[in-house]
Amino acid sequence: MTTNKSKDRKQKANEKQQNIIDALKDHGAKVYGDLDNGQFPKLSIPSRSVSNIVYDKKLRQYILGNSAALRSSRNSSQLRSFTQLMWLAFFANRLTHEKKSSTLRDVYYSSQAFEIEFEDQSESDNIIVDLEAVLSKPREDFHIFPEERSSIFGDLNIEYTIPGYEGKTMNLSNHPDGYAIGPSLTTAELVDTSAEIVIAIEKGGLFTRFVEEQVDKKFKSIIINTGGQAPRSTRTLLKRLHDEMGLPVIVLTDGDVYGEHIAMVIKSGSANAAHLRDLTVPDAKWVGVWATDIEKFKLPTIPMTESDIKRCHDLQSDPRYQEGIWKKELDVFLKIKRKAELEAFSKYGLTNITDKYLPQKLELAKSM
Amino acid sequence: MSSIKEKFNQISPSEFFYRNRDLAGFSNPTRSLYTAVREFVENSLDACDQKGIFPDVHLSIKAIDPEKPDPKPYILTVKDNGPGIETKHVPLAFGTVLYGSKFGLKQARGMFGLGATMAILYGQITTNKPVLVKSSTDGKIQDEFELLLDIQKNKPVILKHTTKEVTKRGLSVSICLEGDYAKAGSKIKDYVYETSLITPYATITFDDPKGEKFHYSKIVNEMPPPPTIIRPHAHGIDVETIRRMMVESQFEIPTIDDAMVEKVRKDLGLAKNNLSFTGIMDKAKKRWKTLSRPVRVVISLMSFLKMDFDKLNKIRIDDIDVPNKKLYYWDFGDSQSKSVDMDPESSYYKQLTGTVQGETLTTFLTKGFQRIGPSTAVKFAEFAGFKPDKRMGTMTNEELVRLSDSLQKFEDFLSPDPSCLAPLGEEPLEKGMKKFFKPDFCAVIQRPASAYSGFPFIVEMGIAYGGEIRPGGPHVYRYANRIPLLYDEGSDVVLKVVNDTDWGRYKVKGEPPFVIVSHICSTRIPYKTVGKENVADRQEIERELRLGLQFLSRKLAAYMSKRGQADMAKKRANLYAKYLPLIAQFSTELAGKTKEPNYKKLLEEEIIVDDK
Repeated sequence: MTTNKSKDRKQKANEKQQNIIDALKDHGAKVYGDLDNGQFPKLSIPSRSVSNIVYDKKLRQYILGNSAALRSSRNSSQLRSFTQLMWLAFFANRLTHEKKSSTLRDVYYSSQAFEIEFEDQSESDNIIVDLEAVLSKPREDFHIFPEERSSIFGDLNIEYTIPGYEGKTMNLSNHPDGYAIGPSLTTAELVDTSAEIVIAIEKGGLFTRFVEEQVDKKFKSIIINTGGQAPRSTRTLLKRLHDEMGLPVIVLTDGDVYGEHIAMVIKSGSANAAHLRDLTVPDAKWVGVWATDIEKFKLPTIPMTESDIKRCHDLQSDPRYQEGIWKKELDVFLKIKRKAELEAFSKYGLTNITDKYLPQKLELAKSM
Repeated sequence: MSSIKEKFNQISPSEFFYRNRDLAGFSNPTRSLYTAVREFVENSLDACDQKGIFPDVHLSIKAIDPEKPDPKPYILTVKDNGPGIETKHVPLAFGTVLYGSKFGLKQARGMFGLGATMAILYGQITTNKPVLVKSSTDGKIQDEFELLLDIQKNKPVILKHTTKEVTKRGLSVSICLEGDYAKAGSKIKDYVYETSLITPYATITFDDPKGEKFHYSKIVNEMPPPPTIIRPHAHGIDVETIRRMMVESQFEIPTIDDAMVEKVRKDLGLAKNNLSFTGIMDKAKKRWKTLSRPVRVVISLMSFLKMDFDKLNKIRIDDIDVPNKKLYYWDFGDSQSKSVDMDPESSYYKQLTGTVQGETLTTFLTKGFQRIGPSTAVKFAEFAGFKPDKRMGTMTNEELVRLSDSLQKFEDFLSPDPSCLAPLGEEPLEKGMKKFFKPDFCAVIQRPASAYSGFPFIVEMGIAYGGEIRPGGPHVYRYANRIPLLYDEGSDVVLKVVNDTDWGRYKVKGEPPFVIVSHICSTRIPYKTVGKENVADRQEIERELRLGLQFLSRKLAAYMSKRGQADMAKKRANLYAKYLPLIAQFSTELAGKTKEPNYKKLLEEEIIVDDK
């Protein structure tokens, strides 16, 4: 049973790989053909401008509309970025074939071997997003990863698929500092788990506290530190834990507008990644710290800054914040104009958050 | 009046000089040397311009003792090929203050030749050496004078006067003066350089004290037409000028002496004959038109006196009382004063009153000013509240002030006559600029004549870009009446107009290799300071400068965009050559091919601009 499942997964992963390679080859062949026929090659890139980002209620995430920009090698002002995009496709193709991974920063430096000058990393990052949009696939699929800062802990058995580690297994509760969520983990097979829930938490400090207090055992959970706004690999992993292992996901953040939005991005993605699917966990639940909790638990607070308040107003016009808890908490933040961090619970003792607050919220989450 | 004159007489030469030296630009050895150079060079150029001679001016500065530190005595010599000065005028021209031929309304570099005299005086005071003048007006004989100024008497002292035979016409002036070439040198070199740019029809050479030689040859073979002297414009007048003009137009009653009577007899053809009173009157009537004004006045007097020549010899005219229409005279025979009534209807009466009271206002205006005809004069009289036939001689002080004010306020005068101006002209300016700057692009414009406060002016401008021009522009060369303005440019109207221009709009960016030349010609340049280095921002002048610069800037922009297109095409071709091979390389591997696509055709193709 397990082996079959594993074979299925392996096959799936291979298919995914093949899809990418095929898509890259198609684009390469088209450009090759154009050049050979004396035509200036061009590529159609879905537009990521604000006007082309729309909220899809069915998918419960932001997606790109239908407008696309043509990038032509004939236009001298686009020639450079066209070449950069072609180089990146070429580079991604090699990575995928060789099953090697590269960080965003690696990409920036690798380009220099080919006389492709990127002014800075943000320029190369942009081209990477262009290729994501052209292929409609996240960069992780073609083996490009951001620097990692998030981690995971809990009773979860995985089996690596990356070259050199194929077949190796690991239990993610063996090391109390947790495991960094990187390419090897996101591509690993999720074998089995005794956990019944995934708790995503915004901060490393609280992650450590949760491990110390054995939240994983007490509440049968997998703990994930998102390190602020969750990186895509973390979101991919969250999605896989939800979809493949059937685990519910709850999110615990600071009691401010940014925390609320961290939860929202895990649930329904960001406008920045509107060109990508499969990064969202629509069923994820934000359980705190809510604005109403601040009052309820009499937490020590700090006043909201100008930019906090501005952010509240910005989110008020986001279609996802028009109803339910999202709208309600945003309104309360704006009303009290104060915020509280997760650490605020330490006022009542270091373990208050795990002993009192978390059980309440877990209970609550069942009814959400 | 007499007390002021006495005081003036007591001023010593050095006092006179030191009281006025700042005004004239002789405040210190650096500035004095520079100013002296300017005064003599400009006099030479003016003299040549007047006579239509291509100027060939040679300037030399030599230290008397090169070893001495500055400031020290220098010998400054300026030699030209101009008309020279007649022998009898030389001592006065160089040995008196305020002697000059430059009075009159026309464009010239200097005004009255006063500056040269100040330079000579400065030299005399600082070194106690005479000025050496060599002049030949015919190219055969040359006068050589050594002169000192006697300021107390305002008279030249001739130390030496010799003549010798020469082969060239021209004037050479040499003075010895205290100067500081170490400090003034760069300024003088700039001056010579910039002067030769605006005088492309002149050859100018300069031998500096360090043995360096600067030679600027004539570039163009046409001379701009010399300016003509014209009457003043009503808008540019003041009470003092009106008073001076009135004196010139009024006549006194001639003294009737033997000589006068002889003249009248002769003009009437009666030298030998003695006619009766009525005979004389008949004869005069017949010849009236040929008679001169004094003779007419005598005849008119005789008509009222009813006297013949014999009787006329025995009286003296005392007064012509116009309001009471009476003529008073002293009879020597009876030894008493007598009077006769004058008939106001008589034409002789008008002759007399006209003489005594001066011209009518309208005649005064039409004769004395440019651009005023009889009908404008009448309209003006009405505007100013005068009768058109108001006699100028009857004007009170208050009325003169009113006249002067009204002349400036009346708006229906035609604008001033620019024929007194001598712009360089577009062609010589352009040739000069091309030769001087060796640019890639050059454009010039001469704006139509305009006027401010009654003074006509013309603006000429040129723009040059690229070539051998050094970057960091715009470099602005300012001229007024063909004189370079080298200093105090911060507050100058030309600089203001240039700085107000948004060069980005004209596709000029960064530190462009870029020159602007501006030349303002006027009978009076509105200098801001006595230093005569910057022009005040008169609205009318600013407007002309602005229009001129806009015209040139548009031409420059057209050139720049053409140049930019060529640059772009080249740049684009380079881009394709760089990137297409890379695209080919990447797509080959992506498509899983081994042989690269044939993209060479694309490189050869002429690329059309399709940037959006």
